[in-house]
Amino acid sequence: MKNLRIFLLILTSTTLMLSACAGFQTSDSSEGQTNEEGKTVVDFWSFWGSEIRRPIIDKIVADFNASQDEIEVKHTYSPWGDIWTKELAAIAAGNPPDVVINDINATAIRGKENQAMNLSEFIDDDFSDKFYPELWNATLYEGDSYGIPFNTDTRVLFYNKDTFEEVGLDPEDPPETWEELEEYAAKLDVKNGDDYDRLGFYPLWGVGYDVWLLNANGENYFGADNNVDTVNINTETNVEVLNWLKSWRDRIGEDVVNSYQAQIDSQQGNPFFSGDLAMLVQQPTFYTQISEYAEDLNFGVAPLPEYEPGNGHTSWGGGFVAEIPEGSSDPEAAWEFIEYLTGAEAQEYWAVQNFDNVANIEAAEAAAQSDEFSEEGQMVYQIAVESMENTLLTPAPVEAPGFYNYINPHVDEFFLGSMTAEEALAQAQADVEDLIESNQ
Amino acid sequence: MGKRKLTIRRKESIYGYIFIMPFIVGFFAFTAGPLLFSLAGSFTDYNITSRMDFVGVENYQSLIVDDGLFRTSLWNTIYYVAFSVPLTTLGAIFISALLNQDVPGIRVFRTLYYLPAVLSGVGVYLLWMQLLEPGTGMVNLLLGWVGIDGPNWLYDPDWTKPSLILMKLWSVGGSMLLYLASMQGVSRSLYEAAEIDGASRWRQFIHITIPMITPVIFFDVVTSLIGGFQIFQEAYIMSGNGEGGPANSLLFYNLYMWNQAFESFDMGYAMAMSWILFVIVFVLTLINLKLAPRWVHYEGEEK
Repeated sequence: MKNLRIFLLILTSTTLMLSACAGFQTSDSSEGQTNEEGKTVVDFWSFWGSEIRRPIIDKIVADFNASQDEIEVKHTYSPWGDIWTKELAAIAAGNPPDVVINDINATAIRGKENQAMNLSEFIDDDFSDKFYPELWNATLYEGDSYGIPFNTDTRVLFYNKDTFEEVGLDPEDPPETWEELEEYAAKLDVKNGDDYDRLGFYPLWGVGYDVWLLNANGENYFGADNNVDTVNINTETNVEVLNWLKSWRDRIGEDVVNSYQAQIDSQQGNPFFSGDLAMLVQQPTFYTQISEYAEDLNFGVAPLPEYEPGNGHTSWGGGFVAEIPEGSSDPEAAWEFIEYLTGAEAQEYWAVQNFDNVANIEAAEAAAQSDEFSEEGQMVYQIAVESMENTLLTPAPVEAPGFYNYINPHVDEFFLGSMTAEEALAQAQADVEDLIESNQ
Repeated sequence: MGKRKLTIRRKESIYGYIFIMPFIVGFFAFTAGPLLFSLAGSFTDYNITSRMDFVGVENYQSLIVDDGLFRTSLWNTIYYVAFSVPLTTLGAIFISALLNQDVPGIRVFRTLYYLPAVLSGVGVYLLWMQLLEPGTGMVNLLLGWVGIDGPNWLYDPDWTKPSLILMKLWSVGGSMLLYLASMQGVSRSLYEAAEIDGASRWRQFIHITIPMITPVIFFDVVTSLIGGFQIFQEAYIMSGNGEGGPANSLLFYNLYMWNQAFESFDMGYAMAMSWILFVIVFVLTLINLKLAPRWVHYEGEEK
């Protein structure tokens, strides 16, 4: 009996010890990793695993590897839902990747929490001039950058030129203001009893209510440089905008909105392709869908209409940064790769192959002239580049991470009719102020 | 006799330990550490990367006293558990009773009803999102044929949780299999005796089948109760962007915890949440265990 007990005890403790050893062996990170050829290995994580994107990013990585003989970048694909929780676990374990693609809107928060490395030691004075200032500013925490902008997006108005002509509107003169938008939409509607054979426009397809708030205000809910001393959620303009948005829903009718929405979600059945919807707000990459599913569509692209004449065609965007997680084994090598990744050559290749907006201004402008685009493609990309000038990001202030989770539910209630716009916004304002207070 | 000779009882208990060894080793090597760490972390403002300062019971205090979303998420979860556990249990018993009949082609039916349990995860959720689409989905189309104007399912806060419960009911095949197996194990002689005494099929079901499968019912209730409190994926996928909308009606406990941990990086807060959930589930399971002797019947049990 005794022997057996001792045996079991030894067995248990050996197992435990072995598992502990294994744990320590893998987390050796303080020294840079090198491969057999003596090159420094940079571990690069992205979520670009689709048939379209994977070859493009792999080509950029291969080009970089071929361009010098010191560094070997190893690209690892991790799915969208996993990549950042995995990265966080890796940082906590002390063995993170060296470069990660991450959401631009929380870059400052990751800087504050020491997840991403402060990049200011690598950055020259004029380095930031290469990027759109709105994107660059979103990466700053207390004046230092924690990620370099890679790609971005914006929202523009797609409209069907044939339908414009049919109802006597000038196809080269898209709506400039919200008022014109409403007027044109009404003209473009073709009603059939309670149903529509064609719908002019509906503002909440393709974008959320927040884009229209941003368009009307020309700024996000928070003060200059994202300071949280002022929180402008419950404002007269916002109440008016919400009511305006709801008036579309009331006019068109719930059922029509839902059935169109379902068709839009199904992608190839998008009513814009068939001419059943005359205008739609979308990202410029929507063009790739048009050329795939509705090649012959005669369409135009315009900046978002402005709230009032002279108010500005403010649009909304997001994007991704390349950053170095805290604890990377070789930040210098990682930085060299980031510089290449966000440089004009790689960025233009990405822009042209993906039809995606990129953060590097020179690359974006070069892409708009690219011979690889058709004439239509050039036109769309040109508008996209122009729209970038008026595109704002809505990064979360470090004091209010995930602030939209505190606003959206109340606005949902407003659209569902169980709250007035004033009530919904007042509650949202109070909740966000509470959130800020609890984080200060 | 040497002192090495063991009694049978001792021998058996040693074999028992050897059999559960893989679990015990796994538990101490991989689970126990993180478990204790999360308990310790729940009293700190741990944010994974830069901070771990002791804050006492502040996390628990602000959760229970101040946090409106915590209450919303707890309420949503309790609502879901309160309906889904009894309904799926009844549904599974009902279906397995039907599939326990001796009719031609029963194997085909058994396979059909079990199939949903094989399919799982995100694919199924996306499929159900299409089925539940208010304007064009199959569910409302079928309801329309019998003259019912279907609700807006995943878009109407009053219907989002019922939508998920409906989806869960569709996949009761998994526990159906357990019930079916235990129903097949009920001795024929009991039914024959009851038949001779003139008991109807219904009375046989109530007085023989149900009591004989109570151990499985008990197991199913306990596990699906625990599983129900951990609902996450469904809400993460089916509320569109993972925020728990519309109007926070799908903000379940674990979803809110996940948001706190990985969006706000407030890991200490999330750890405190997980321990509150643990206490709730633990208490409920204890109550279950205490109540079990009153209705669970084990054959061959010494009274």
